[in-house]
Amino acid sequence: MAAVRLPRLRLPASPVENSLEGRAFVFSAFAVAVLAIALYGQDYVVPAVGLAATALGHIISYRGRMLKRTFTGQVVLASLIFGALAYFIADSVLAIFGGVLPQANFAIALVAVTSFDLKTRRNCYSSLWISLAILYLAAVYAWDYVFGVLVALWAAYLAGFWMATHLRRMEAKLSAPPAALATLVLGALAAGVVGFVLIPQPGASSPTPLVVSLPNFVSFKGQLENPALPLVQISGDPSGATGSIDLHFRGRLGDTPVMYVRTGAPAYWRGLVFDTYRDGSWTVANRNFVTFQPYIPTRLLPPAPPNNLGTFVQVFRVLRPLPGVINAAYPIQSLYAPVAALREDSYGTFHTPDVLKPGQTYSVVSYLPNLSAQELQKDTFAGGTTGVARAYLDTGGLSAQARSLAVQAVAGHTDNQFDTVMALTNYLQSNFQYSQQLGHVPAGRDPVDWFLFDAKIGYCEQFATAEALMLRSLGIPARLATGYSTGQYDSVLNQATVREQDAHAWVEVWFPNHGWVPVDPSPGFSALAATQFPDRWAAGGVAQLIPRLELGAPLAAISSLGILGVIPPAVAIALLFVIVWAWFRKRRWRGRVKAQPGESELLRLYERVQRRLGRRRAPPETPLEYRHQFRSALSPPPPRGGLGRGAVPLESLLEEVTAAVNEGAYAGRWPDPDAVREMANRLS
Amino acid sequence: MSWLFLLASWIAALIAVSVGYAWWNRAGLRLQLRIHGSTPGPGSPVEELPEHLLRNAPLPAPIFEGDGVDMELGLNTTGAPRGPARLFGFIGSDQLSAGTGLVPRSGWRHEVNLPALRRGPLGAHAWVMESSDLLGFFRGRRTSPDSEVALVLPRFASLAHRPISRELEASVAAPRAGSGTELFGIREYRPGDSLRRIHWRSSARRGELVVREYEPPGVQTLGIFCDPEPGGVAVADQVARIAASEAWDCVRNGGRVVLWGPGLTPSLPEDARSFWAMLEWLARYPSRAASGEDADPPIVSEAVAVMAGARLEIGEALEMVHRRGGAVRAWVVGDADLDLDGPVQHVGTAWPL
Repeated sequence: MAAVRLPRLRLPASPVENSLEGRAFVFSAFAVAVLAIALYGQDYVVPAVGLAATALGHIISYRGRMLKRTFTGQVVLASLIFGALAYFIADSVLAIFGGVLPQANFAIALVAVTSFDLKTRRNCYSSLWISLAILYLAAVYAWDYVFGVLVALWAAYLAGFWMATHLRRMEAKLSAPPAALATLVLGALAAGVVGFVLIPQPGASSPTPLVVSLPNFVSFKGQLENPALPLVQISGDPSGATGSIDLHFRGRLGDTPVMYVRTGAPAYWRGLVFDTYRDGSWTVANRNFVTFQPYIPTRLLPPAPPNNLGTFVQVFRVLRPLPGVINAAYPIQSLYAPVAALREDSYGTFHTPDVLKPGQTYSVVSYLPNLSAQELQKDTFAGGTTGVARAYLDTGGLSAQARSLAVQAVAGHTDNQFDTVMALTNYLQSNFQYSQQLGHVPAGRDPVDWFLFDAKIGYCEQFATAEALMLRSLGIPARLATGYSTGQYDSVLNQATVREQDAHAWVEVWFPNHGWVPVDPSPGFSALAATQFPDRWAAGGVAQLIPRLELGAPLAAISSLGILGVIPPAVAIALLFVIVWAWFRKRRWRGRVKAQPGESELLRLYERVQRRLGRRRAPPETPLEYRHQFRSALSPPPPRGGLGRGAVPLESLLEEVTAAVNEGAYAGRWPDPDAVREMANRLS
Repeated sequence: MSWLFLLASWIAALIAVSVGYAWWNRAGLRLQLRIHGSTPGPGSPVEELPEHLLRNAPLPAPIFEGDGVDMELGLNTTGAPRGPARLFGFIGSDQLSAGTGLVPRSGWRHEVNLPALRRGPLGAHAWVMESSDLLGFFRGRRTSPDSEVALVLPRFASLAHRPISRELEASVAAPRAGSGTELFGIREYRPGDSLRRIHWRSSARRGELVVREYEPPGVQTLGIFCDPEPGGVAVADQVARIAASEAWDCVRNGGRVVLWGPGLTPSLPEDARSFWAMLEWLARYPSRAASGEDADPPIVSEAVAVMAGARLEIGEALEMVHRRGGAVRAWVVGDADLDLDGPVQHVGTAWPL
């Protein structure tokens, strides 16, 4: 039975990269990526060693770029790559050199190893793309414009590599017309800015963050410091968080940043929730916890709320010691925090075992529920519903005067629950002043009554407490939510800087069809501020198109791009088309003329002879014409670059090879491979 | 992450701007090929040519086979400096290429030395100018029409010392400069020239004594009959060399020369004393007549045939000259037998003879 040989799909040969400048650009791009890792990943040993090894590798591979790869060398390289992989796994578990990016260390080791075998242009491109991956890993911890400069620098080196290799291909030195070059660069910068401004970016996305669920035994042993969350009183919980807020006291709030939040949408970063109010203090009625692994996938959390608009990612980086509470936009779809375990309380808030230490990061994917006024107005009154715990209707000893004030404030706005809630919220915002510079509540006074009827000035906890209790008095379930407001949001970096003074409290109101809806009665804040999710810049960023561990996430990422979502599939289809076309073309050529024994060997020998003669046969030149040129050139003087030492044997060989090529090409009689080998030996 | 969008926007803009740059670059560049100079090869005749002959030589210098030339590959730009660009193509059978990243306002030049040229037209063919943007995203090519950049002349040497030539000289009236009646031209003064022959006006103009030269009476016209099918490049080269040498000996002694071959375009009568015109004819030898019709053998007083083998037409032409009383003789490159009423010299393809 005849054996069926399947055609091999091979990439086209890549030329040897001879541009020294191009290789310098490749190394520089890698150096930029390594610098980013050192700066943002707090990792120094592997980057330094990797950089030195890569420099050496570039020198060696440049000098040996024309040498053939040896089997032994390839085995050694493969071994080193597997060694790097082993190191990656060990580093992920043991944190050998400290640092927080074992993936980056692996990539650096990969570049260092492969730099000893950078022969072709494709090899150089591979090194560049790995550098880009390293840079991307650094982006997880990069929170400033300096990182943007590093990325721009990397892009400049990429352009430099393009230019150097292109000019080398054109047999030119690395030079360019200065004025034209400046025009090109400035024109591109200007056009880029215009395009950036005019081209709409996706407004929502649903990717999950890049999560590598490896065990991380880095524990936080630092001592408790100012938790920068004055709403929560320290009471010995190792995480720094407890379940009570006393409205009689108020800490001073500074402007020190407490965390950076990279987010696709500015939102309120909710922490603890309280449901029980007694004697001026909020506590929680239910102290049950559920323990999770550091990565909590979607399937373990409640499903998406009704009318969900999508999801968005937030990455938090803690700058000061904080209580072990996961502040994030709620409701949460999935969560990852590099801690030993996570606990979820009965109110949906996640806790860490210890305080959050500076440098600690965690990632959250949150839902985007549709909480617009029009949507909420459809909801009926929740009063008297059995699905909500009675604790959320407990007025906590609210005075009759305050109850009366509540009724008075919502008079005429009782058509639906939303109107009632907004009426009370607007009343508080309009008739009371907001101040963070407020003294303690006088001893013996109820903080709510003192705020509503005496001081008429207060801070967020007092506004929120008053609204929550007054809503409860109207039969609407409500509770107190604490955490941080959005902070200073930078739409270019997609990053919010959250400071101490952004610590905030607001109300969560229960709507039967929408769940807990955040409402903010503090003056100066939007009543539905917590639901004012992404603007047109939200969820932007190429980084969100990263590979996902969850099935279906790439489709979600593409769909989040809106009309621009056609680009990735179009590129993929075009790439597929090109590959299929190249394969088909190669197959067609192969199928048309199947090489006969001796044919390939002879044609290769003919190529070698031409190379030895210093001139290739021109396309329109027949083999006989080509041979004739050199035969007649044997009379002195010899042709340029042509037949010098050993010219006569070469001429004789050329005669034979030409005759054989003609015989094969025109008569279909190819020589025996042994005869070709004999001729090849004479050439050697 | 919006800054990544900005970065992507910049890269996209860079690609878009590169389109315009590539178009602008291509539109303003022009290819230029020219001979910048020549390097005489060993034994090149150019070293021994008299000054007055060199003055009328093809510019910038006559190029003989075996000489080398300095080929200048150039790019000119209109207006601002441009680049990058690359040139590649063939000069003769040599493939040349060169590139630059910057073409300054004054133009870019790259010299290539082509040593040991062969006889014949030195053609520039398949020349292409490739240009692109700076990053190589968009490339364009512009082809140039084929052209002839130089004509490599055959080598020659005086054959006066050879017996066969001396025999010819004996049959031709010895020309003496300054004698005769028909004004031939002027030349530098040599000791022994009559003072009456000095052309004072030209002497004053040139700063040296110049004498009128008169064509000697009864000067003969030498016909050089070349084999139209020499049967190989090396043989054709040798035929051209011998013919050039014969022409050189005749012309420098004041004679006229007519080059002819069956089926070949004969040399022009007005070029009978122009040695450069004859060399040019021989450089292109064997070039077939464009009309395809054979020209009649010229009427000459003496004839020499340079052949690779017996040719009936040439034999008849020699016979005709012989019947008219002219001396005939022949050179045969190779060992072919020739039936001729005159001296026949067999030579190989080695040069000098």
